[in-house]
Amino acid sequence: MGVLAGKNIVKKYGKETVLKNIDINLETGKIYGLIGRNGAGKTTLLSILTAQNPATEGTVTLDGEAVWENEKALSRICYSREISQVTMLGTNNLKVKEYLATAKAFYANWDEEYAKELIKLFKIDAGKRIRGLSKGMLSVVTIIVALASKAEITILDEPVAGLDIVAREQFYNLVIDEYANTGRTFIISTHIIEEAASLFERVIIIDGGEIKFEENTEDLLARAYRVSGSAEAVDKAVSGYKVYNTETIGGFKVAILLAEEPGIDFGEEVHIEPVSLQNLFYAMCKSAEKGA
Amino acid sequence: MLDNLGEEKSIYLQISEMVEDEILRGILGEEEQVPSTTELSKFYKINPATAAKGINILVDKKVLYKKRGIGMFVQTGAKDMIMEERRNNFYETFVKKIINEAKLIGIDKEELKKMIDGSNGT
Repeated sequence: MGVLAGKNIVKKYGKETVLKNIDINLETGKIYGLIGRNGAGKTTLLSILTAQNPATEGTVTLDGEAVWENEKALSRICYSREISQVTMLGTNNLKVKEYLATAKAFYANWDEEYAKELIKLFKIDAGKRIRGLSKGMLSVVTIIVALASKAEITILDEPVAGLDIVAREQFYNLVIDEYANTGRTFIISTHIIEEAASLFERVIIIDGGEIKFEENTEDLLARAYRVSGSAEAVDKAVSGYKVYNTETIGGFKVAILLAEEPGIDFGEEVHIEPVSLQNLFYAMCKSAEKGA
Repeated sequence: MLDNLGEEKSIYLQISEMVEDEILRGILGEEEQVPSTTELSKFYKINPATAAKGINILVDKKVLYKKRGIGMFVQTGAKDMIMEERRNNFYETFVKKIINEAKLIGIDKEELKKMIDGSNGT
């Protein structure tokens, strides 16, 4: 099993610290989900892990070898970034097929047949220019690059942004197929948490430039609880636990909390329900807002 | 997307219960092949490791068995085994809930009994 590891990663842009001392070990052969709010540092972290952006401090290694300017290590990784209709040189006049040809030259394991299948599946016109593509179609191009790269470690930054439900489902199916057939590692960032949550074996939650959690998704959710009942009973039941968010309506109170272990008995006075990843994440964000 | 999977319990437990339900209903017969973890994970859009965990619970319970290189199959006698287990848990999982709800809304024992006698068992 390989490991893509970031150690003590700090990233500063001028005076602003975007990533604060991040330590992360990503094991190959798993599907990871990366979630965080806008500006949490997701894209910066991914670009540093793939050596597209230098870290201010810290190191990134793949199986112990530094990744920076290491062609051998980088040939095992694909980071399919969001494409813009506008580049620094003006509008992006490349045609889709020209863009894919560049990708083909770049990735050693590129699967041209598969790329063609995907073009057909997503019904994309390869003769079209990038500048003329919709947001969803731009996402499709990044998905095609990521999948057809056949890279051992494939990173997708918000691949489903702008995609309709049918295309999103197609994408999830393709990832499962690829994962089942090849055991490729996928690291997928997304804001559409609910529908992708069950796809992630492990989840990385990043907030304010720090990793809050990197854990097996089911294990994390198994120790999250939604405790509800009369305000008095809830307050009593949850005291001593890490409560992220509470909401009250009249005398009824709901608390979202994370404990150290699953299967805790909070007593007869309160009602206990599981928490979805999306709701847990939301509660964490609310808690962070209040703390700030 | 989790077609009919809810959030009530861990996904892998839901997977193993669903396979059990299919065996109870006779949709999956004894000695019949069970969908592969890849098929299950695509159908329910879940991680294949999670689907495998659900299936492995049933292998440990001897509801399913593995044929090397072919896949998972329903063990002979699996249906009876599942029935017995569910019967043993029936009071805890269902009856207790009904009694609690009945108490909450003031339905007494006699009324509850009448309801059960009056239901035509569908």
